[in-house]
Amino acid sequence: MSAPLPVVRFTHLADLARKSSARFSSQTAFTTCMPNGMHGSLSYTDVDRLSDAFAAYLRETLGLAAGARVALQTPNCLAYPVVAFGVFKAGCVLVNTNPLYTPSEMEHQLRDSGAEALVIVDLFANKLQGILANTKVRTVVVAEVTQFFGAVPRAVIRAVMKLWYRVLPAVLVPHVRLAQALAEGAAALEAKPGALASYTQGQGLEALAALQYTGGTTGLSKGAMLTHGNLLANLEQAYAMGASHIEEGRECVLTALPLYHIFAFQFNLLCFYAVGARNVLVPSPRPVQNLQRAFDNYPITWVSGVNTLFNALLNEEWFTAFPPRQLKAAVAGGAALQGVVAQRWQRVTGTVIAEGYGLTEASPVVCFNPISGVRKPDSIGIAVAGTEIRLVDDAGQPVADGQPGELLVRGPQVMQGYWQRPDETALALRDGWLHTGDVAVVDADGYYRIVDRKKDVILVSGFNVYPNEVEDVIARMDEVLEVAVIGVPDPQTGEAVRAFIVPQGAGCDEAAVRAHCRKYLADYKVPKSVKLRTEMPKTPIGKILRKALREELREEAR
Amino acid sequence: MLTELETKLLGVMMVLIMLGMGASLTFKDFRIAFRKPQGILVGLLCQYGVMPFLGYLLAVLLGLSPPLAIGLILMGCMPGGTTSNIFTYFSKGVLALSIMMTICSTLVAVAAVPVLLEIYSGLRALPSEYKVPAGNVAQILVVLVVPTVIGMVLRKWNPNVGATVELLGGALGVVVILFLILTWVPRNHRLLATTPADVYTAAIGIGLVGMLLGYWLARLLRQDPRRSRTIALETGIQNGPLGVLIVVLTFSGEMQQQVLLIPVLYSLFIVLSSSAVTIWFRGITTREDLARDQAKVQAAPA
Repeated sequence: MSAPLPVVRFTHLADLARKSSARFSSQTAFTTCMPNGMHGSLSYTDVDRLSDAFAAYLRETLGLAAGARVALQTPNCLAYPVVAFGVFKAGCVLVNTNPLYTPSEMEHQLRDSGAEALVIVDLFANKLQGILANTKVRTVVVAEVTQFFGAVPRAVIRAVMKLWYRVLPAVLVPHVRLAQALAEGAAALEAKPGALASYTQGQGLEALAALQYTGGTTGLSKGAMLTHGNLLANLEQAYAMGASHIEEGRECVLTALPLYHIFAFQFNLLCFYAVGARNVLVPSPRPVQNLQRAFDNYPITWVSGVNTLFNALLNEEWFTAFPPRQLKAAVAGGAALQGVVAQRWQRVTGTVIAEGYGLTEASPVVCFNPISGVRKPDSIGIAVAGTEIRLVDDAGQPVADGQPGELLVRGPQVMQGYWQRPDETALALRDGWLHTGDVAVVDADGYYRIVDRKKDVILVSGFNVYPNEVEDVIARMDEVLEVAVIGVPDPQTGEAVRAFIVPQGAGCDEAAVRAHCRKYLADYKVPKSVKLRTEMPKTPIGKILRKALREELREEAR
Repeated sequence: MLTELETKLLGVMMVLIMLGMGASLTFKDFRIAFRKPQGILVGLLCQYGVMPFLGYLLAVLLGLSPPLAIGLILMGCMPGGTTSNIFTYFSKGVLALSIMMTICSTLVAVAAVPVLLEIYSGLRALPSEYKVPAGNVAQILVVLVVPTVIGMVLRKWNPNVGATVELLGGALGVVVILFLILTWVPRNHRLLATTPADVYTAAIGIGLVGMLLGYWLARLLRQDPRRSRTIALETGIQNGPLGVLIVVLTFSGEMQQQVLLIPVLYSLFIVLSSSAVTIWFRGITTREDLARDQAKVQAAPA
């Protein structure tokens, strides 16, 4: 059992939003930084006032009830925190939605969640016609990436987007602009000043706050039910791991990962709003040069990212030649942080990079390397406060010390279940234990190491090969930019190891990779085949998708 | 040939373009560029080695008269034009390299252009009245470096202003050329009709041959094809408006008319020839991308 859970300081997420806004009033809360350096900002007071107005718009103008689902589908931009906090202040439930979804994926998520209102970025609003009628969405609010920018930069960026890049489609469904919605909400508030407090009156930590969609272990996207208590407990748990490097009101955090993803939502938005940080929002971190202006123009002290993002930064000359000087720490999650990337990061920036582990179903943080305590390379760290972890074998029995087993979690951050899916919930949550599908080992100090996804383990002649281990070895080669390892059917060994590599420069071929692997790995772990490619399939936050690589192979075989 | 107003407008626009170029830069960019300077050095070699010599060579081969010869040599000695960045963008070239080359060649111009002009005018044994005074050229270039630095400061001071100026400067680069074409061609169609073929050959040839030589030299110096195409465009596309400005500020009357002919024709035709080359390069890059796509398995949806 880990340290006892710290006191949860807030009664619900709206309370968090209000308290921080009152404490850090005129300080800058959010800045959106475009790739060309154009920017717009909101202060803590601004965010408070605007999210109040949005809450009133939902409850008064639209007449939504407490608990109604509101979908939010934007990239990182100033509209995001205003709408998200507005939803919480209205006592409604936030449904984070990936803006890159296809219409059919959108339709599935909107139908499944029963969302009644949708806030969508104008860039992708043309995907709505044809699917809206099949959902319960009655109101579409259209937001802009340049929302709350000054008039001139907004006009310039929109002109460039419209005329040069041609990415501003006409919105063909009935809709209201976010600015208009906020004006209507503000007017409603003026007419009914006491209404605001009533929206969240009597709301406790057990109330549902968000439906966070995830493919989970079975593929079909389903909504993890996260309560105010889940998210706020996890905020305290995550904060405790980094508190030594956080000064209230003085931090500047770079948000390159999308806020609709649970990692950035918890870590960048909630944690750093609670400590009065300035949050620099980058609408798209790809290509990674988009981050250059953010690093140039703002004194970034914290960065969150995934392995691919850190790796990409370390391959940019502007970053390695002039690493951010105010940087205090970086946190990595989402996918295994490769040892070589972690070492290079610490060497280049001179700061700590701490790896953690989490999943949507746990709001998300489960384990972390304490920033100022003992950090072990290749480890996801210790269980965060108030969290129990068990490693079990296929029969559900605890494994012997030092042996790999499926990681089970119990704690205040674990979700209530999947929205309207009792069968899936029963599979994932058993006796209060969340079954993660990840295989881990633990050392004598209580530090966990993820061996791999249970279903990614490759069985070569009866031996378990963990792709992460092989990837980590291959990533040490200078000629390798990115690597992914999967198992492929093999007539002799059952399964065989195959490596996919995105090379950089010349000199990366099958023979060189295999020779390199033989130096560090037992024979059965050395890739039997190596395929070079120019890019990797990735998730929205940049995790390499082994699943997609396997699917490609199946297609090929047909 | 150019009215007083047009000359002044040209000057103002040049200053704005340089302001925009400055706003696209930080001091860090320079330091980073010079950590791996091969691309830029190859570019500078093309810009100030190949082009001035090509201007001189064409002037000799075509037996151009002194006013035409100095116009051609002047164009050969000019730094890269900012429009090359736009063409590079459309041809799917290496934009960062193009921008850095333009900037470096413009900065180096302060020293290189007066010296090169002196050398090649001397070689061609031009009468002294056709010489462009070195101090004059240096002065104009120094004046242009000032807005560049102001642009850099603007960007540091307020990124919103910086980015706006940057976009404005880029757009003005095209506007200046269009302005020259639209105001100048209708008024001078008779002149165009009577201009002999060898003048056209010189004005068009220097750009096209420059691109060809730039590409070869870049490939010879082991730049990859995509970078070589970028260097080719950068080499062939000179700062035409700057050439026009220097002529206007140096010569007057009938003499100005004669010297101006090739810089103006060059500026006119380089837009057309670069557009054609850009479309061709874009096709090549697209084919290369497709070939790479087919070499790998189909990418999965994000």
